[in-house]
Amino acid sequence: MTDPIFELHKVTVRYGSFTALSEVSLQVKAGERVALIGPSGAGKSTLLSLLNGSLAPSEGQVRLLGEDPTRLSVRALRRIQRQIGTVYQQFHLVPNLSVIHNVNAGHLGRWSLARAMLSLIVPLERQSAARALADVGIADKLYARTDTLSGGQQQRVAIARVLVQDPVVILADEPISSVDPERSREIMTLLRELCDRFNKTLVVSLHAIEYAYSHCERMIGLRAGHVMFDLPAGQVTPGMVEALYRIRKAEA
Amino acid sequence: MSASSATRHRPALPLSLRSFFNGARLVVLVTLLAIAWATTQVGLLRGNLINGGGWALVQQFFAAALRPELSADFLRLTLESTLVTFAYAICGLALSLVIGLAGGLLSSEVWWLSHRRTSGSKLGAPWLAVRGGLAVPRAIHEVIWGLFLVKILGLDPLVAILALGIPFGAITAKVFSEILDETPRDALRGLLNGGVPAGQALLYGLLPRAFPNLLSYSFYRLECAIRSATVLGVIGAGGLGYQVLLSLQSLRYGEMWTLIAALIALSGATDWLSARVRQVLGAPTRLEVNLAPGCDAQAAALARATPSSRTLLGLLVVGAALVPLSLLYIRPDFGRLFSPRTQMLFGQMVREMFPPDLSAENMASLLQLSLQTLAMSIFAIAVAGAFGIVLAQPAARRAMGARWPYWLARGSLLFLRAIPAPVWALLFLFVMFPGPLPGALAIAVHNLGILGRLIAEAVENVDQRPMRVLRHGGTPPAHAFLYSTLPMTIPQSLAYIFYRWEVCARETVIVGFVGAGGLGRLLTEQLSSFDYPGLLSTLIALFVLTFVVDVLSAAARRPIR
Repeated sequence: MTDPIFELHKVTVRYGSFTALSEVSLQVKAGERVALIGPSGAGKSTLLSLLNGSLAPSEGQVRLLGEDPTRLSVRALRRIQRQIGTVYQQFHLVPNLSVIHNVNAGHLGRWSLARAMLSLIVPLERQSAARALADVGIADKLYARTDTLSGGQQQRVAIARVLVQDPVVILADEPISSVDPERSREIMTLLRELCDRFNKTLVVSLHAIEYAYSHCERMIGLRAGHVMFDLPAGQVTPGMVEALYRIRKAEA
Repeated sequence: MSASSATRHRPALPLSLRSFFNGARLVVLVTLLAIAWATTQVGLLRGNLINGGGWALVQQFFAAALRPELSADFLRLTLESTLVTFAYAICGLALSLVIGLAGGLLSSEVWWLSHRRTSGSKLGAPWLAVRGGLAVPRAIHEVIWGLFLVKILGLDPLVAILALGIPFGAITAKVFSEILDETPRDALRGLLNGGVPAGQALLYGLLPRAFPNLLSYSFYRLECAIRSATVLGVIGAGGLGYQVLLSLQSLRYGEMWTLIAALIALSGATDWLSARVRQVLGAPTRLEVNLAPGCDAQAAALARATPSSRTLLGLLVVGAALVPLSLLYIRPDFGRLFSPRTQMLFGQMVREMFPPDLSAENMASLLQLSLQTLAMSIFAIAVAGAFGIVLAQPAARRAMGARWPYWLARGSLLFLRAIPAPVWALLFLFVMFPGPLPGALAIAVHNLGILGRLIAEAVENVDQRPMRVLRHGGTPPAHAFLYSTLPMTIPQSLAYIFYRWEVCARETVIVGFVGAGGLGRLLTEQLSSFDYPGLLSTLIALFVLTFVVDVLSAAARRPIR
């Protein structure tokens, strides 16, 4: 694959009078593991929403897997979105469904409505769901009710759903902010391993800088909607990170 | 911020008056004035209300409670009538759920938003059209639907099914859409962003989460359907209501008590079943008016409940099996829907209706009768609410204390709501002169039974800890109740009362059919004299009245949320 997975050219996003991202240009190539870092409100979530096609830019050009999402029909946009899996901080699972249904939700882009209904009564694709759960380390939870699981386990279910969806790229929006430090390391390591093993691109927004260093190869620093740096992880100095989070004098 | 800086410069008196009459206090003031007005309008302050000649009948009626008619023939008739009423309720409910689910989806915001490319777009004309389209059948009581459909379709069980199913469907659609819109959307968003088509995304991301609430409300509708099926009987559709009316009119009170016992058994069994199902589902209240989504009681109950999918599937299978069985029992003639005769009669009725009678004389009388209907509904709900709050306290299940007040209160409430409002109206007419008051009292008594039960549930679900703290501190039970349970349940109780007022406004029409005043009596006269232009204008007045009541009720509930 020679085309970049994502390509942003001078992208600006405004919510009313507030500018969330201004003139951001970047590319993400296949197989990269990219960390988005920066303080709250820097534009990390906005950037990820652009990347999964759920938000259109106010100005500039976005290309997802070589396509401009603003020019696609709803149907064609969905086809692109199916290639982009997202893991969220709050998991976004249905709490009162069994784990297997939440995992099978990864198939929904390919299933007809009738098949989707049938599967809610008699679960289909049990093998692939079981395999995905085994891959994320909770094989025994296939028929458990999702809200009986711990936070870390629910995040694993969300990752299993993305595995079943089998996208080209995985986006993760602060995937470890809702789990304890011990689980954080496990989840990050799991994401890295799965991306290596299944050859997927990873873009993850993080508050915990140490995982950006240890689990990603490239770091993009955002502050107030601007890209402050975009470097291989090895070249990001503690001073640069500190500058990213420092409270500006004018603001203080 | 702006309000406080703006008021700072104002003179002291208007300021204090303004801040005194805001929000909840304004609602209280307006409510009290409205009740005072309604009381004079229904004629409570007029002398000469009681028809002394009727007391002998009342005595006979209650004496007959001790010797109900128990002959084998009559018991068989009672059983058959009970089954007919139950079958009407099941078929009507099934139809209303189909309409409710389709209409609920199409009138929910979340359905239309899921079909957009990106989040945050505005809702368009189709959404408004569905919403508006559902408002009309909702405003018209099922009994009026019944009277209309009888004219077009003739006397057939089909009439009862449609008369129940159409307005119930519109009501269910409204509530379903509210449930769907209040269900958290994070999972749905996640699926949509992953390129899942809207239908499948709703099926996996939203419906399962809304399902316990949808099912719980459906069982509440079953309770309502049983009551409405009985009332439809009163207007001639057969079943328990019809038999009660026959026995009452022929003064055979012994038979009436047998039928009332059947009504209580049917109504009680349905209410019990509905409560059990909700317990299993973890939806503690049958009706979530004004509960902030995800409130403590609800979240706790959801966490407690772990309905197995087998239980849910079992419920659905039993429910689905009841529909064909009921259809087999009452055998509606679906062919009538499309018969040439039906089309002819329908066309004729529509042609004769237009233009509606808008003459000044008619409008003046409509306005006067609308105000009378409004007054009846306000008086009725005030009585029902006041007694409902009192009766609900012993009727709430509690860990400590004697059991007999609980059963007594529960039993009385069940008795009051099991007897349909028109029958109550006829009983009141034994001892009262015809007019708005007996009708309003009938509505009040029937709704007291329903409201007391709803409030009792709110009392049961309230957080017990503040009460316990006070009791452990040595506070006498009554004092502790005044300072913990009562203030905590008042907002929910008031919300129920205002919500029920909307229902009362619709029901006020049906006591009119037995001569108890208001728009209902006019409607009966117009129907029997084939005055269709007049009928249409009465219906329009009714629609406006229900709309006004709905808006007022919603406005009153907002500040007490």
